[in-house]
Amino acid sequence: MKHAPVSPQEATNIGVPTPAVSVVTGAAGWLGQNLVRALATDHDRVRCLARAPDEASLLEVVGPTVEVVVGDVRDPAAADRLFDGVRGASVFHAAAVIHPQRHTRELFDVNVGGTGLVLDRARRADAVRFIHVSSNSPFGANPTPADRFTEDSPYAPYMGYGQSKLEAEQLVQQSHDRGDVATVIVRAPWFYGPYQPPRQTRFFATVRRGRFPLVGAGTQRRSMVFTGNLVQGLLRAEVAEAAPGRAYWIADAEAHELREVLQAVREALEAEGLAVSPRQPRLPASVGALAAALDGFLQGRGRYVQALHVLGELKDTIACDISRARAELGYEPSTGLLEGMRASVRWCLERGEAL
Amino acid sequence: MTTLETDVLVIGSGAGGAVTAATLARAGRDVTVVEEGPWVDPAAMEPFSLEEMVAKYRHRGLSAAFGTPTIAFAEGRCVGGSTEINSGLYHRLPPELADEWRRVYQIEEFTPETLDRYAARIEEQISVSQLPGAPPPSSAVLERGATKLGWRAVEFSRVFRYDGGRGEKQTMTRTFLPRAVDAGAEVIPDCRVVRLLRRGNRVVGARCSRQRPGGPVERLTIRADHVFVCGGPIQTPALLQRSGIRARIGTGLKLHPMIKIAARFPQPVDHGGVPMHRITEFSPNIAIGGSASRRGQVAMALAESSADYHDALADWENVAVYYAGIRSEGDGRVLAVPGLRAPIVTYRLTDADLSRLARGLVHLGEVLLAAGATELYPSVVGGPVVRRHDDLVMWWDAATRSRTNLMTVHMTSTVRMGEDRARTGADSFGRVWRFPNLRVNDASLVPDAPGVNPQAAIMALAARNCDQFLSEA
Repeated sequence: MKHAPVSPQEATNIGVPTPAVSVVTGAAGWLGQNLVRALATDHDRVRCLARAPDEASLLEVVGPTVEVVVGDVRDPAAADRLFDGVRGASVFHAAAVIHPQRHTRELFDVNVGGTGLVLDRARRADAVRFIHVSSNSPFGANPTPADRFTEDSPYAPYMGYGQSKLEAEQLVQQSHDRGDVATVIVRAPWFYGPYQPPRQTRFFATVRRGRFPLVGAGTQRRSMVFTGNLVQGLLRAEVAEAAPGRAYWIADAEAHELREVLQAVREALEAEGLAVSPRQPRLPASVGALAAALDGFLQGRGRYVQALHVLGELKDTIACDISRARAELGYEPSTGLLEGMRASVRWCLERGEAL
Repeated sequence: MTTLETDVLVIGSGAGGAVTAATLARAGRDVTVVEEGPWVDPAAMEPFSLEEMVAKYRHRGLSAAFGTPTIAFAEGRCVGGSTEINSGLYHRLPPELADEWRRVYQIEEFTPETLDRYAARIEEQISVSQLPGAPPPSSAVLERGATKLGWRAVEFSRVFRYDGGRGEKQTMTRTFLPRAVDAGAEVIPDCRVVRLLRRGNRVVGARCSRQRPGGPVERLTIRADHVFVCGGPIQTPALLQRSGIRARIGTGLKLHPMIKIAARFPQPVDHGGVPMHRITEFSPNIAIGGSASRRGQVAMALAESSADYHDALADWENVAVYYAGIRSEGDGRVLAVPGLRAPIVTYRLTDADLSRLARGLVHLGEVLLAAGATELYPSVVGGPVVRRHDDLVMWWDAATRSRTNLMTVHMTSTVRMGEDRARTGADSFGRVWRFPNLRVNDASLVPDAPGVNPQAAIMALAARNCDQFLSEA
C-alpha cells in the first residue's frame, strides 16, 4: 500500500497514512537490516544511514527503493546528506552503541549526541514521526522476579549504557513536548533474530558447547524480543494514531526464566540438526554481583569490558509488560521463543556461520 | 591590634554580601562589611581589560580547579565581588529547578513563587533591561546562525542602565553597596578574614588582616553578634574550614564547564562587551553564548588550540570568542590546607560531561559556520582548526579528557542548603548546622548548578534569607 507524502498537520489530523519515505539510522545493524527489509516493501524510498561503505552494499541488495548514505551519526554533514531531498518522512532512529570498544565515552557520544543530531535534522526536514529505539537499560532491573516494567516505571539507569539511553529518551521527549517533531519511543529488551551480530553467534556457540553459565537459580526472568516482532511494533508505531508523545515496551508475549531461554536455544540448535552438549555450568549469583561491581568500578573510570557487563546483568530479572503496545498500537507478537530461535539458527547456517 | 564591634558582620561584598548588607542595614541593623579586595571605581577601567584583571580578579584571573582536565576559573576579588567582572547577564532561577531542589534537599519556603517574589524585589532595585537598538555584531552572529538553523535563541536581559550612551552595568558598587552605606553600614576593603572566632557553637567575631593603602598589614578583630559569610563558593567553605567547621562544607562543588571556539570572520567584530544572545535550543544541558573578546582573550583562545594561529592573531579584530557550557554531572571540592593561603580546588568531570562538551563544541561550530565564520579554533590541544562543515565531526574524537581546555565562571553548591542534614551544610535559610548565629548567604548555598548565570538566584536567595533572619533575630 502506498500513499502520497503528507504534511505534519495532515498526519496529525488523519492519523495513520504510511509516509512514502522513511529514514533509518543504524540501518546496517541487527535491527536495522530487519527493519529496512520490511520498510522497503511499502515505502517508495528508504533512506538509510550506514557507518561504512561495506555496510552500504549489504543494504543496497535489499531493493531499488533503498538509498544508502555512508557516514557517522555524530557528523552534522552526514546528517545533512541523510535528509537531503527528504521531506515529510518517518524517521526510525536505531543507531546506537551497546558495547563500546573500550571506553564508555563512546556510549554518550553516539547514543546521546547522535540522537540529538538526528532529531534536529528530522525537525528541519518536517519529519512526520520520529520513532526512537530505546532499551530496558534506563530502567535497570525489576525489584522482584514477579515485577514487570510498565511505561510508568521509574527510571533507574543501569551503568553507562542505561544513562546514555535515558538521556537520549529525554531529548526525544523534549523534542515532542516542545512541538519540534512527533515522537514515539519504543523500548526493546534483548533481541534475537536474523542478521544477528557476531556476539549473538558466539552466544549460540557457547550454549551449544555447554559452556554458557547459568547465574544463580536461573529463575530470573527475561523479556526477549524476536526482531520480526520488534519490526512489527515499529511499523505500528509509525502509523498508530495514539502513539505520538508516548513510549511503549515492545517484547515477546511473555517473559521467560533465563534457564528456559537457554533451553530454547539448545532445542533450536538440535531442531536444526546440530549436536548440543547437555552440560549446563552454573555460577552462584554472587559471581554475577561481583562482575556487576567490577563493571561499575571500571565504567566509573571510563573503561568497558563486555564480558563483565554481560555477566553482571545475567543475575537480574529484566521483564516488561506489553499491554499498552497491544492496546494503543495494536501490536501482537506473532513469533514465539523457539520458533524465533530456530529462525536465527537457520539464518546462521545459511550464512555458513560457525556455530 | 584594633578591635571593632558590630551587630552583624558580613564577610564578602559580592551579589550575596552586598544584598545582605543593604537589606539588614536598611532594617536598622548595625552592619559591617569586610572585603578582601580593593574598592575600585567601576568606571575607571575598561571591562574585561588586562588592567581590570589585575585589579579585580583573584590571582589575576588565573585560578584553576585541578583534575583531568583542569578547569580554569575566575573570581572577583574586589568590593562588589564577581558582579564587578561578570557579563551582567541576569536570569531568574528556572522554576523546575526550584521544584527539584526543594524536593531533593528538603528546602523550606523554596517554591518558584517565593523566589520570583524576591527576584521581583531585587529587580526593582537594580535595573534589568535588554539592549536598546540592534545588537552588536558579536551577538548578532549567534542570532543569525540560530535563525539559519532554526534553533531557539534569546536575547538575555542584563543588569544594565542606558541613560543614553553605552550603558552602564549595575554592579554591586553602583547599587546595593552605596545603599548599604547610606543606611549606615561600614564597608572595610582590603581586609581579609583569617578565621572566625568561636566560643563553643557560637561565632563571636572574626580575626582579620587589613592591608593599609601603601602601608603595613594590620591585625583587626571584629566582634559580632551575627556573622554572614558571603565570600563566594570557593572562599566561603575555605574560611569555614580554616575556622574548624568542616561537616559537609566544601564538598559537592558544582560548576558550568565551558569549552571555547575562537571564530574568525571576514569582517571586524566588536570587542568591548559580551554578547547578550544565547542559544537555548539544547537547554537545559547545553548553553551556547559569547565570551569576552578583547585582544588578550582572543590571543588566549587562539593559543588554546595550539594550532598555528599567528595569521589569525594578526587579524584579531575579525576574531571573537564563543563558548558552549554544560550542566555537569561531576562534582568537586574545596579544601583549605594549613599554610596555604588559597584553598585547593578539585573537580572531576564524568564521561557523560566530556561527551556533552564535545556535543556542545560541534553544535557551536555549526552555528558559527552558519553565521559566516571562516575559521574555527577550538580550545582543544591539537585542534583541528575547522573551515568546513564536513570537518566538524573530527572534534568528537579530538576533544579528549587530556586535550580539552576548559574554563568556568559559575561555581556553586559548596555549602548546600536544606533540611536533609546528610546532604547539606546549612539549613533552608543558610544557617550553618550547629552554629545558630553563623550564616552563609552566597552561591555556596545554591544546591546544584543552575544552568544559567547564577547572580539573579544568589541575590534573590540572599534577600529571602535576610527576611528570615530579621523575622527571628
